[in-house]
Amino acid sequence: MAYKELVKSFEKIRMYMRDFYVYGFKTRNDFNKKSLRSYDDEKRRIESYLGNYMYFESSSDGKRVFLSIDSREAVHNPLFKAWKAKSFTDGDITLHFILCDILSKGVSMSPVDIVAEVDRYLSVFEKPMTFDESTVRKKLKEYEKTGIVVSEKQSRKTLYRMAECTDISHMTDMLNFFAEASPLGVIGSFLLDKTQEKKTSFSFKHHYITATMDCGILYRLLCAIHERKSCETQIVSAKTGAEYAYSIVPLRVLWSVQSGRYYCMGYNNLRHRIETYRIDHITDVKKGDVSPDFDKYRTRLANIEKHMWGASVPIAKDKLQTVSFTLFVNEGEEYIIRRLEREKRCGSIEQVDENHYKFTATVADEWELTPWIRTFICRITNISFSDKENEKRFKNDIAAMCTLYGIGGEKV
Amino acid sequence: MMFSELYGAYYNTVAKLIEHAIDGNLTLDLMREIINSNAFSESGWLIEDAIKTERWQLITQDWKTPVTCKPVMPLTELEKSWLKAISLDERVKLFGVDFGFLEGVEPLFTSEDIRIYDQYLDGDNYSDAGYIERFKIILEAVKKGLPLEIVMLNRRGEEILRYVQPKKIEYSPKDDKFRLIARGLRSFETINLQKITSCKIKDGKLRFERRTQKEEPSFVTFELYDERKALERVLLHFAHLKKKTVQTGDNTYLVTIYYDKFDETEILIRILSFGPMIKVTAPDKFVELVKERLIKQLEI
Repeated sequence: MAYKELVKSFEKIRMYMRDFYVYGFKTRNDFNKKSLRSYDDEKRRIESYLGNYMYFESSSDGKRVFLSIDSREAVHNPLFKAWKAKSFTDGDITLHFILCDILSKGVSMSPVDIVAEVDRYLSVFEKPMTFDESTVRKKLKEYEKTGIVVSEKQSRKTLYRMAECTDISHMTDMLNFFAEASPLGVIGSFLLDKTQEKKTSFSFKHHYITATMDCGILYRLLCAIHERKSCETQIVSAKTGAEYAYSIVPLRVLWSVQSGRYYCMGYNNLRHRIETYRIDHITDVKKGDVSPDFDKYRTRLANIEKHMWGASVPIAKDKLQTVSFTLFVNEGEEYIIRRLEREKRCGSIEQVDENHYKFTATVADEWELTPWIRTFICRITNISFSDKENEKRFKNDIAAMCTLYGIGGEKV
Repeated sequence: MMFSELYGAYYNTVAKLIEHAIDGNLTLDLMREIINSNAFSESGWLIEDAIKTERWQLITQDWKTPVTCKPVMPLTELEKSWLKAISLDERVKLFGVDFGFLEGVEPLFTSEDIRIYDQYLDGDNYSDAGYIERFKIILEAVKKGLPLEIVMLNRRGEEILRYVQPKKIEYSPKDDKFRLIARGLRSFETINLQKITSCKIKDGKLRFERRTQKEEPSFVTFELYDERKALERVLLHFAHLKKKTVQTGDNTYLVTIYYDKFDETEILIRILSFGPMIKVTAPDKFVELVKERLIKQLEI
């Protein structure tokens, strides 16, 4: 099939964008899951959408293609562009603009009258297209569902007119901010496209745009949560790469602003427990029936969340673990105490003596805290994990770090 | 549906072409210019061909159009429900937007549906009327390029006066803080909005003591050992920065990230957080910073 710039399904480019953006070290031959032709097409597409951010480097293993974006410098999230590449037919675009023009005159019209009017519009062309009544009806119904067209019954006839337009020109500052700072910000970008203002007064630090690729899945999960519905999901295992089907009741989305990851907390209908699913591992979501137990599961989740540091869920209350560590804080280093206070999440802090502060947290998975605890390396005077294996591993890791840099190698 | 041609770059581009055709000023050159600035890099010939050959029957050979009104599209249900969700966000108070037109619309999500679990707890206070007022003044100054007279608290909690030329308002979701990025009299400054106690737009222009240029980004290179899923964790963690990754062995990679010089300590502790999965190799100064902390840890 000949190359086309636009695509029918977003899923097609999702995996490639992620590989080019997050990893960026793979060569053409590493993309062995799909055909090389498919790789060439997707690479060309992404280059067309994001050419300014695409880099190429050659090595003995082949040419590497990668996307490199400093999201602090980029004015708008460049990955949004891929969401604006949906394919359509010649008839779709022609009918769209003519239909919108006909219906924007403030008069409600029947499909029969609309068809006649469409013919009149197209008569200026040498070989005018024709649209039958069923095509026009179908398009009108589609637009009604989207919300841009409204219908009304007049005796037996259904009449259509354009929905009312809202002036959003005064919202550009707000849109510029929330398009970047809110979940599903791509919708804000769609709205910004309707305004003339392209400049923004904002920039963003710690701005993770990776989840842009997962917007479609996130949207479907949020719709399911809102409607309290069960879902049939397809999820790729991080360990094996195999795809599994799960029936879940999505309850809440967890969002990490320190990694950009989104997780879905859901009740697994088969295993009868609340689990965490990484949204970038979900490949499909199909809404099912309303779950009568949604509220019950959400209450259960709220109790569980009291002991969640990250996304790990406690298996049982008696399986909770307690981690604590003590820090040395010298005079003039009060910023360390402020750090503890603002970063403590579900943990607590107590002052041991003039120069020592102890942090304690009882959580589902104490190992989840280790990356954060390591940020205090140089001032940890004591550490204790419930699981002594974890404690040993933590100390061994610090010894391994010392070895890496040729320092002492003694255990802490 | 989110992935729809209605929000697509092609539909937006064609809407602009029709606008000009209605105004009677559309030409081949203008068409190319509009396509270049609104669509993708390979869209030029595709759109041009579709219009010239009348596959899309919207613009005639003589640049006219049967469309009579400039294309406008009402808000879709998707857009309205997203805006409704935004209207419930505390930070929206900073923008003074009236959401009356969304009455009866269901939000796409609420704070019950999405929870951030790792945001710092000392974020800005968006309910403070004074903060909102100052935010609006600063935003206006950024938009209009006007200088600001700022009174702010220094590290010791004392009030100090600053004159700055504002450039951007920066937001960090991790810190949940807004910062003003501005050109000060001597250098570029980053000022936490929470530290500003009063501000006003200053009359006239600022006279800078010397040319202030933005610093070139710093870099750090490290070896990455892909154990315990470190590859994915590290690359996702630093995904927001400009970076380069090269595979050097079966499970080893060489990663270079570029960062703002002022964020050195933050980058240092973020690297430490990955433990023995990362070994910094360059620059030497950065290697020393890591070693210094490890030596201190051994000695404590």
